[in-house]
Amino acid sequence: MPGPDKETDLTERIEAFLSDLKRGGSGTGPLRGSAETARETTALLRRITAQARWSSAGDLMEIIRKEGRRMTAAQPSETTVGNMIRRVLKIIREEYARSRGSSEETDQQESLHKLLTSGGLSEENFRQHFAALKANVIEAINELLTELEGTTDNIAMQALEHIHSNEVIMTIGRSRTVESFLKDAARKRKFHVIVAECAPFCQGHKMATSLSEAGIETTVIADAAIFAVMSRVNKVIIGTQTVLANGGLRAVNGTHTLALAAKHHSTPLIVCAPMFKLSPQVRRLTNEPDFYNFCEILSKVNVHCPVFDYVPPELITLFISNIGGHAPSYIYRLMSELYHPEDHEL
Amino acid sequence: LDQHLVEYFRAQMMKDPDMASAVAAIRTLLEFLKRDKGETILGLRESLTWATDCLTGVDSSVAVSSGGELFLRFISLTSLEHQDLSRCKKVMEERGELFLEKISMSRTKVAKLCHTFIKDGAKILTHSYSRVVLRVMEKAAAEKKRFSVYVTESQPDSAGRQMAEALRKLNVPVTVVLDAAVGYVLEKVDLVIVGAEGVVESGGIINKIGTYQMALCSKAHNKPFYVVAESFKFVRLYPLNQQDVPDKFKYKADTLKTVQNLSEEHPMIDYTPPSLITLLFTDLGVLTPSAVSDELIKLYL
Repeated sequence: MPGPDKETDLTERIEAFLSDLKRGGSGTGPLRGSAETARETTALLRRITAQARWSSAGDLMEIIRKEGRRMTAAQPSETTVGNMIRRVLKIIREEYARSRGSSEETDQQESLHKLLTSGGLSEENFRQHFAALKANVIEAINELLTELEGTTDNIAMQALEHIHSNEVIMTIGRSRTVESFLKDAARKRKFHVIVAECAPFCQGHKMATSLSEAGIETTVIADAAIFAVMSRVNKVIIGTQTVLANGGLRAVNGTHTLALAAKHHSTPLIVCAPMFKLSPQVRRLTNEPDFYNFCEILSKVNVHCPVFDYVPPELITLFISNIGGHAPSYIYRLMSELYHPEDHEL
Repeated sequence: LDQHLVEYFRAQMMKDPDMASAVAAIRTLLEFLKRDKGETILGLRESLTWATDCLTGVDSSVAVSSGGELFLRFISLTSLEHQDLSRCKKVMEERGELFLEKISMSRTKVAKLCHTFIKDGAKILTHSYSRVVLRVMEKAAAEKKRFSVYVTESQPDSAGRQMAEALRKLNVPVTVVLDAAVGYVLEKVDLVIVGAEGVVESGGIINKIGTYQMALCSKAHNKPFYVVAESFKFVRLYPLNQQDVPDKFKYKADTLKTVQNLSEEHPMIDYTPPSLITLLFTDLGVLTPSAVSDELIKLYL
């Protein structure tokens, strides 16, 4: 019978994805880039939409939320999973609203305007059944997948506007986005790159090898030398793991140092981050231990080694994303376009 | 007629001391709307403007003024939809009641958003007496969080002592400090939470005098400075410095009426620019100061 087979197939895939996530996050950094994770999550959500049993938008949202909670619990540091889930939830809300015929561009967010003009405590319960909803949602998710596929290229296309000849660019660790950004600029411009190695995993070494293979003059420096070398740097371009709702970053450890050094020398700090890295989280307090992931390296010595750093929005000059360049103070606006406020907590 | 209005307003404030003054003002204006015998919408707007002026004559705070402006905006928006006056009035009354219901829940929404930022063992600094901050702390205490609070005395009316009393009733350890001791105490503190009488277009706030000082010190000590405010406090002002804040907000209503030379009076409020504020907690969500003007534009334009 096709019914139960499809369901077991679906649960198998979800379990496989979850165990992949659990494995991928510890030790030597993620096994795969966040773009891949985002794509796989979205493909899985599309499969859930196609194969799971649901009759109304509300049911589908419940199923996705439930699976979403399990996925985010499997690997809390991988925020792209949660972000994609929220994007899909917003897609479902929009398609539902469109099917109902209400004007699609109405702000679904709370606003003062809505407080004054709406005629009733609207408790949308998404219970109506629409036949075409499934097809519409799957089509919208397909559009999302196409968008995801083009993100790195879209960001790399903007490289020529920001990098000029004979510039010295500094970066830290390894970011696939920054790599393609710099390689794209190298096709037309000649410039020099300084990579901070980012101990203890030293991903900076791989970055330097890859860049020099593309013909870019690269220098590797130790993390401690960042401040000393900063006076000769024209721009700092970095990637990040997550962009937070207040415009801050959660990036690989050492980024905060880099950002402070750049601020001190008034060097612009540019962050290349695709939109799927934007997360509705806000950083709570200064010394929060569970913000950083700690891991032990030697057995006899307890070494606390944070994997991520928090960079406050005041130190960032520009965000380059697949939809263009934005100031950190504009991030809240992008958030409201991508996610619905009720989905902030899955 | 204005006597009735003022009496109704005062009665509202006394009936529920926990209610925000803007809410009382809106309730009064709604009542006024119900009793109004005007024939035209323009006449209605004029009488409402006059009523708001009366109310600001009683309580000159920013909150009452913003509540009044919001109500006027509400009238304009509704009147655009329905041309016929009597139907318009009916719709207005219904919506007005709904609006009041919604904003009465706004403090709860703010508390729900903010209490997660108070960690176990946190030391909080706050300024003067704010009912919203009190509600946030109630919620945090209800979630069994252990935290302690420093409150500034907040002269000239010692409102800080009232806050300390209320916090003691919640079994929260509280210390009252001098207004001048803010810099002294900040090294011990983890975060600063204040309320606001008004949130201006730039994302800055207008609050009891001493808030600006507290914000400057927090910036110097790198401590997060959080503001909790309901959305009906958003006001269409854009002050660039302390001088830009209109005199009618700075002094109490009685002072404005009786005193000749205002430059000898002490202002009751000050303006804190958005660069010193980390985050604003409102019933519309957690906002960065740059998001505030967006909200105002959505409403007024």
